[in-house]
Amino acid sequence: MLVEFDIVERAQAGDAQAFNQIVQAYRRRIFGTVSRLIGRPEDVEDVAQEVFIRLYYSLDQLRSPEVFEPWLYRLTVNAALDYLRKRRKRKLESRVADLSEQQVMMADAAAGSKAEVDEKEKARIRELVDSLLSGVSDEDRLLLTLKEVEGLSLKELEKIYRVNENALKVRLFRARQRVLRAYAARRGEEARKGSDDER
Amino acid sequence: MNGDNRHLEQELDRLLAAYRDACEAPEPGADFMPRLWARIESAQSWTERLWKWANGLAVAAAAASVLLVVYQVSSRPQPDFYTATYVESLMAQTEAELAPVELAGMASEAPPEQPLP
Repeated sequence: MLVEFDIVERAQAGDAQAFNQIVQAYRRRIFGTVSRLIGRPEDVEDVAQEVFIRLYYSLDQLRSPEVFEPWLYRLTVNAALDYLRKRRKRKLESRVADLSEQQVMMADAAAGSKAEVDEKEKARIRELVDSLLSGVSDEDRLLLTLKEVEGLSLKELEKIYRVNENALKVRLFRARQRVLRAYAARRGEEARKGSDDER
Repeated sequence: MNGDNRHLEQELDRLLAAYRDACEAPEPGADFMPRLWARIESAQSWTERLWKWANGLAVAAAAASVLLVVYQVSSRPQPDFYTATYVESLMAQTEAELAPVELAGMASEAPPEQPLP
């Protein structure tokens, strides 16, 4: 726990100062988790704010301060899930916006300093993983990210999802297999493209 | 095939690790807390407005129902059927049924009228 139980209890009782302390303590962690869950640095702050707003309005539903952290994770996962659903809908509605975003990124990449090259490479990895993860449902995407990227244990995931370990294992295995197949297909495509270029 | 699969698994693990590094959390902006509180307060004022509006609506609906009941009670004259007691209604019904029979009997049994001297 990054804060004492009594601070959580005070925040539950409506103490704004205590709520501020919780936000200050968990802000970095939530930013990091949200960043890995959604993969879009530009939207992290908005989603993180949504998490803390939900925290503020649902603090009175928290049964005991001991379960605060898994509960905060659950709020984070739900806010990220809502964001991903909205994004998926937006993507379906307008693919033109994505194209222009890609064009902007390509223009930016043309600049060429070391930091820019690094940033370009990071953006490429984010895009690649994002497209691989888009092959599974948003729920499975978040579960897989929490396990494989965030590094949470099955025990921790059990507390967050309130589902037994075996069910989580099955879901994780299926999601990973699907992502693996998408990755293999992509590698195959790249290899074919490479051999075509050589010719 | 198994070797290929294991190789792909390892590559995917490396890619996910690289993704973790590529997703550095941005630093929270200086206005993070003020913006957060502004959003909380705006949501609060919205819920308060909604609550007031719902209360107003409930009071108006209650007043309208009372007025409607008063109007219905005062505008419609009650027929006797609803105000009379059971005995009174029974009596009224019996009287209505017996009256013609009584009159007919009286007409046949009555002595002829004598002219006055």
